[in-house]
Amino acid sequence: MKPTKPTSRRRFLENTALGAIGVIGASKLIQSCAPGETTAEVVEPVFLKTAVDGQPIRAGVVGCGGRGSGAAVNFLDAGPNLSIVALADVFQDRIDDLRKKLKDEKDVELEDANCFVGFDAYKKLLELDLDYVILATPPYFRPEHFQACVEARKHVFMEKPVAVDPVGARAVMAASKQAEAAGLCVVTGTQRRHQWSYNNVKARIDAGMIGDIVATNVYWNQNQLWYRENQSAWTEMEWMIRDWVNWTWLSGDHIVEQHVHNIDVSNWFVGTHPVEAVGMGSRLRRKTGDCYDNFSVDFIYDKTIHMNSMCRQINDCATSVSEYLRGNKGYTNPGGTIWDAEGNVLYEWKSPVDEAGEPVENDPYVQEHIDLISAIREGKQIVEAEETARSVLTAIMGRISAYTGKKVTWEEMMSSDITIGPKSEIKLGPVDIDRTIPIAGSD
Amino acid sequence: MRPKRKRAGRIIFLSGMLVLALIIFLGNKVVVKTSTDEYCASCHIHPHSTQSWKRSTHVDNKMGIHVHCVDCHLPPHGEGYLVQKAKTGIRDVWAKTFRDSASFNWEAKSQIEYASHHTFETSCIHCHQNNYPLGLTKEGREAHLYYERQAGELHCINCHITVGHYDPDRLHAQNTGFGIVKTASTELYTEPGVINGFNNFTEYIPGSAVSFDMIAIPGGTYMMGSPVDEPFRDQDEGPVREVEISPFFMAKIEASWDEYMAFFKQTGAQGKSSDTYLNVAREDVDGISGPTPPYGAPDQGWGIGKMPAMSMTHHAAEVYCEWLTEITGKTYRLPTEAEWEYAARGGTTSPYFFEGDPRRYVDKGIRNRIFGVDTAVINCYIIYAENSGARSRPPSATRENPFGLVNMLGNVLEFCSDWYADEAYSQYAEGTLKDPSGPDSGEEYVVRGGSYRDGAESVRCASRDYTKTDAWLKTDPQIPKSVWWYSDCFYVGFRVVCEYEEMPGD
Repeated sequence: MKPTKPTSRRRFLENTALGAIGVIGASKLIQSCAPGETTAEVVEPVFLKTAVDGQPIRAGVVGCGGRGSGAAVNFLDAGPNLSIVALADVFQDRIDDLRKKLKDEKDVELEDANCFVGFDAYKKLLELDLDYVILATPPYFRPEHFQACVEARKHVFMEKPVAVDPVGARAVMAASKQAEAAGLCVVTGTQRRHQWSYNNVKARIDAGMIGDIVATNVYWNQNQLWYRENQSAWTEMEWMIRDWVNWTWLSGDHIVEQHVHNIDVSNWFVGTHPVEAVGMGSRLRRKTGDCYDNFSVDFIYDKTIHMNSMCRQINDCATSVSEYLRGNKGYTNPGGTIWDAEGNVLYEWKSPVDEAGEPVENDPYVQEHIDLISAIREGKQIVEAEETARSVLTAIMGRISAYTGKKVTWEEMMSSDITIGPKSEIKLGPVDIDRTIPIAGSD
Repeated sequence: MRPKRKRAGRIIFLSGMLVLALIIFLGNKVVVKTSTDEYCASCHIHPHSTQSWKRSTHVDNKMGIHVHCVDCHLPPHGEGYLVQKAKTGIRDVWAKTFRDSASFNWEAKSQIEYASHHTFETSCIHCHQNNYPLGLTKEGREAHLYYERQAGELHCINCHITVGHYDPDRLHAQNTGFGIVKTASTELYTEPGVINGFNNFTEYIPGSAVSFDMIAIPGGTYMMGSPVDEPFRDQDEGPVREVEISPFFMAKIEASWDEYMAFFKQTGAQGKSSDTYLNVAREDVDGISGPTPPYGAPDQGWGIGKMPAMSMTHHAAEVYCEWLTEITGKTYRLPTEAEWEYAARGGTTSPYFFEGDPRRYVDKGIRNRIFGVDTAVINCYIIYAENSGARSRPPSATRENPFGLVNMLGNVLEFCSDWYADEAYSQYAEGTLKDPSGPDSGEEYVVRGGSYRDGAESVRCASRDYTKTDAWLKTDPQIPKSVWWYSDCFYVGFRVVCEYEEMPGD
């Protein structure tokens, strides 16, 4: 007599087959694998190329920076009958920029009365008649904003990561359950889960093509990320928010902010979250803020499966943004290729081609909105927030282990009262945080 | 003949169907009739069951919904309803016919251990399908996340025990009003008590109106543990060791609410909630930083004053001792396990410090069942399962042991300072032990003496037990859990000892 579970992702994808363009090429490749390679039937993922038509959807954007602006356009590109009617941000110039962009690129005019500035701007936005809210502020604010959206019964697209500390991650888990119970749909910006390539590989891994997963490697090693130096006209709070990816309290550090994508892929394929982590990391060349610029973490799922995770944001070093999963019968780069244990390719993802023979790539940033909008319009619920919160909490567990040098367990994370962020009220002005860079261990 | 037989067959068949239909119809009538609240109440006349139900949120709610007896006390239809109904029916008819309801211990039956057998979680979930309704508080959301992670460990009523039968003493909320008592202008002690040689003395808690008696326990040698032929002996009570104990002072009674509340008032941190097992290293705890407000009612509404303080954590009891040490200038601490047993025995070597066979005091065995438990002697000395009424009692209810100590056995469990180990006695070096203090490390601490919930077998001088941190904090909905109060152990307390520093000339 439990409440009905919302439609799972795969179920959802199956159910939306009507009118969908199937992913081509799969059947041919299935034949190429030797009999007995798979233990179950491959459930071919099916994606819509555009959102199904239906009731008009009125959206508001909270956080109008780079990602918020991108998400706003992605949303409008996802299908028919979609409009953006409200914006909220802490800074006026961010709102002005997005208004102009929407007018220039999409011919969307926003009313002054529907543009809100300030830390409580999201509350005013939520009082409007909206169906859909895009949350794209720095992640520190996400749990509070998401909770407010759920209480206001809005469907939500929110960017990862969804929290920066254990308390926030658990708040999102609970709010996600509230959203499920209230019939809302939520998609969370872990876009690999909306990528055709990953889903086609996933279908085959689930069918047993590489046997049981025994180990995973995940990487986000890249060059230095952007940063902003302080300006005399800014308060400290304004600087930190404009430079947010470099501040742990706002971003969760780059293992959480960026590398969570790859960690999420490992969790998604393994089907659960790690139970403990031992990590290390440091800050070698970052220019601003208090984040590290490199981490390496050994996550352990259940005493037998390890996820080795590496992330770095330093120039002129080896780079890689990828995942590798090893099974007892083979291995895979879940972004497109499956090999058997001897290194023979069992499957390789090939983009479908259009009439002219050109490959058609899916844009996962738009696909996220296509999937979310279609779910809303077809009444097939999809709620990703809890699972994303688990991946975010996994990354937080790795971060805390690296900062402290200690082994950190999932149980500790699920009962930890660690919150980061200013002790005092959030407002423009000086920021009351401890900005000591953590150094693990002792002399 | 043929058609006739055919007709007869048809008549028999039809009348059979009719009888069957009648049985089903009447059977259903009986089930419906015997499932009404009025029918339940006709036998269940025990104190306040109907009144407390009517005051509960299952009746007294804004929606005007009445949740009936069988909605909670039987599983949902189709999930074993009739089977359970038959079982409870037979049991209830038996009890109603052959037993005296006044002899039942309703207090005990309303405790969670018993209540969870008579309240079906499937029935809770049958109606309450959403653990995360919009508008649920942050604490509620966290608590339900916790509940789901403890699959099978927690019953809904572990936390929501009063929703069916209202009980103002059982609060499931942060009890911020705890310890706030409007005191009349009583005279407050300004100076602590004075030790005059190795004699009993009275301690005065400065800044409070509270005093308590300390008994001088002379040093000596005794046999710690129980012989293998002692009834109900557990393996961990042996091997018996000869132990030499130095003189010390021990509180005459278990630390009372008066004493503990003086500590709470002087050191308590209002609203502070971040002192947790995970985040506070023990050595960082400032002796002056005292408990946070408890979650729920630690006294269970059984009374305060001289009643034993209970449900504080072992850590809290240790901090209490540090505080008492600081404000009195003496050295207070929890007793070692060896000191505790020495004091409890008071020079005796039998299972209890009075004459008696544990086998005659337990609610077990044919003889005891037929002739009743012989409690005349034990009743004078120990508050235990057979006489407690499932609650702790004031120290005035029982007599002293040979050393002049009250409630060493029974009433509430008492913390010792030792880590618990099964084989603690055999791990010591050979020979006579001088003031042993247990293993160097461990997971849980020793608790001794048994409690008002225990049978006679567990309130023997030699019985050993230990703290059960996870179970005793099972329903604490705070994340992380309190370092100061056990949410699920209302039968543990402690007793202080004061070290005796022998002065030249004493």
